[in-house]
Amino acid sequence: MNIFQRVIIEPFERFFEKTLLILPNFLTFILILMMAIVFGMALKWIFSKFFKIISIDTFFERLGTVELLRKGGIKDPVSALLAKLIGWIVFIIFAILSLGALETTAVEKLLEKFLLYLPNVFVALLILLFGYLLSNFFGRAALIASVNAGIKVSGLIGKAVTLTVFMLSATMALEQMGIGSETVVIAFAIVFGGIVFSFSLAFGLGGKDIAKDYLVKKIKGEEKNDDISHL
Amino acid sequence: MNSIVLRKEIQRKIDQIKEAYILVGIPSYNNARTIGHVVKAVQAGFAKYFPDRKAVLVNSDGGSTDGTVEAVQNTGIEDYQSIVFTYRTEPVLKIATPYQGIPGKGSAFRTIFEIAEALSVKACAVVDSDLRSITPEWIELLLKPIVEENFDYVAPLYHRHKYDGTITNNVIYPLTRSLYGKRVRQPIGGDFGFSGRLANFYLTKDVWETDVAKYGIDIWMTTTAIANDFKVCQSFLGAKIHDPKDPGADLSAMLNQVVGAAFDLLETYTDIWKGVNGSEAVPTFGFQYAVGLDPITVNLDRMIERFRLGVKELSDIWKEIFPKEIMDFLRGVDTARDKFYIPDEIWVEIIYLFALAFNKKALNRIHLLKSLTPLYIGRIASFVIETWNSDAAEVESKIEKLCVIFEDKKPLLIKNWL
Repeated sequence: MNIFQRVIIEPFERFFEKTLLILPNFLTFILILMMAIVFGMALKWIFSKFFKIISIDTFFERLGTVELLRKGGIKDPVSALLAKLIGWIVFIIFAILSLGALETTAVEKLLEKFLLYLPNVFVALLILLFGYLLSNFFGRAALIASVNAGIKVSGLIGKAVTLTVFMLSATMALEQMGIGSETVVIAFAIVFGGIVFSFSLAFGLGGKDIAKDYLVKKIKGEEKNDDISHL
Repeated sequence: MNSIVLRKEIQRKIDQIKEAYILVGIPSYNNARTIGHVVKAVQAGFAKYFPDRKAVLVNSDGGSTDGTVEAVQNTGIEDYQSIVFTYRTEPVLKIATPYQGIPGKGSAFRTIFEIAEALSVKACAVVDSDLRSITPEWIELLLKPIVEENFDYVAPLYHRHKYDGTITNNVIYPLTRSLYGKRVRQPIGGDFGFSGRLANFYLTKDVWETDVAKYGIDIWMTTTAIANDFKVCQSFLGAKIHDPKDPGADLSAMLNQVVGAAFDLLETYTDIWKGVNGSEAVPTFGFQYAVGLDPITVNLDRMIERFRLGVKELSDIWKEIFPKEIMDFLRGVDTARDKFYIPDEIWVEIIYLFALAFNKKALNRIHLLKSLTPLYIGRIASFVIETWNSDAAEVESKIEKLCVIFEDKKPLLIKNWL
């Protein structure tokens, strides 16, 4: 009986007591989590309506963002995307707070670190998002401008501009998150510098005649190709 | 932006002149080589056709560094008797001033409108500063319909080389005609006459920070006059011969500004153009005669290559605005010089689809308009090939056919416009 008491009953009682101690915190955790879901959904709904009222979609259409998002495979209106984002942010914040309610030392430490790190993640995500949008915008502007200038490697120029702008934003995002900050910046500088140097060499060695022709034309006057007056 | 007439030196001039009956404005930027001739023609026009009227010449300059303003100030006619038997004794009043605002022809015109308003003029005209073929008769032809016939807007009508004014012939004239129903042959001719009333009306519009401040001014003036029921006519001025445009002037930017301004106006006057069916001639003044024109060099291979490059690189952009049939056509165009052809029907659809994409903001508008350039160049190459052996009359009849197709296909625009 004594052995049974010590081996089975006492540990079970201790477990039961501990469970009773944790239970209110756990219930609070569940409650806050449920509130997180409700608040998240409610704010998503409210902001979705608010963004529609202030015609935020038209504003982003004018900026060209909608079209860039569409190109990136995102077909939802910007108002819906922003509302979703706000909903998720609220949910995540509440979820983190709910974890704190458990009052477990390990979780609390982890939480503290996570909370301190979280703004970096958001800023990095924003940098990446804007980097993606800007890279598409500038890439296409460069593509159209080089086609209109009659440059045969226009596609390559457009892609190079897109990639460069996105790489720059990715570097900034990684730096923001503190992931090998110096290494990433140095790597970017080396890669970017390398590309510029390669182009300089390629143009300098391979295209010296073209460069010469170009300079001669610029200095001595453009060769006339046609006299069409468009206006 | 402050009005130009608030500047002290201009205010002083205006106070001296007080008011005037007619005004001719010359926008300029580094045109010292040609502006002297234009100023002389205008002065002779005043002397010959308006000897007893108070006339003012305004030069609105974009900051020339080649002595354009000095050329205007120092040019005069020493021997009027070689031009007219009886002539005015009082000198022609001149105002030469730099304009304010975005650099461009539209900003220069705005200054001219403001001075016209301040002087309460009855009639105004604007003429380009690079003209070589202007004569004193142009002043009569641009101003008399306003002074004597009570018209509000006089568009020019010229004899031009068949490959001169290709944006006018292939886009702006057919588009304006089909939309607003008036056959104004040179809606972006650059030399116009207009009443003081219309100049004041132009100033009430808040467009001076847009493409209207640049090359978009011409189409804006013409469309605004037509759409607001001002009395419009045209005058035959003879040949239009001018200095070659600034070689630095980018075709893509020009096309972007002119077509962008035309598409903007589509949004401003939706209710008006939607209700217009067909088109009608406008009263035409002046004695029409044939003129000889200098030949024009065309590099067809380069134009076709630009089109081919556009199709290769910009198809991903165009497929967002064109249906599959148009994309298939563009990809399948035979780029051999003797077979290269873009039919009128396809071209009209391309322009209307661009207008619709502009309206729906399907793409960033600057990207959209700039992506039109290779298609436009392709169309001009096709037009040149088709009309290589045609005389002026045959080319005119081809443009007429194009206009009819623009009018026939207008329901496509009406149906899909938001």
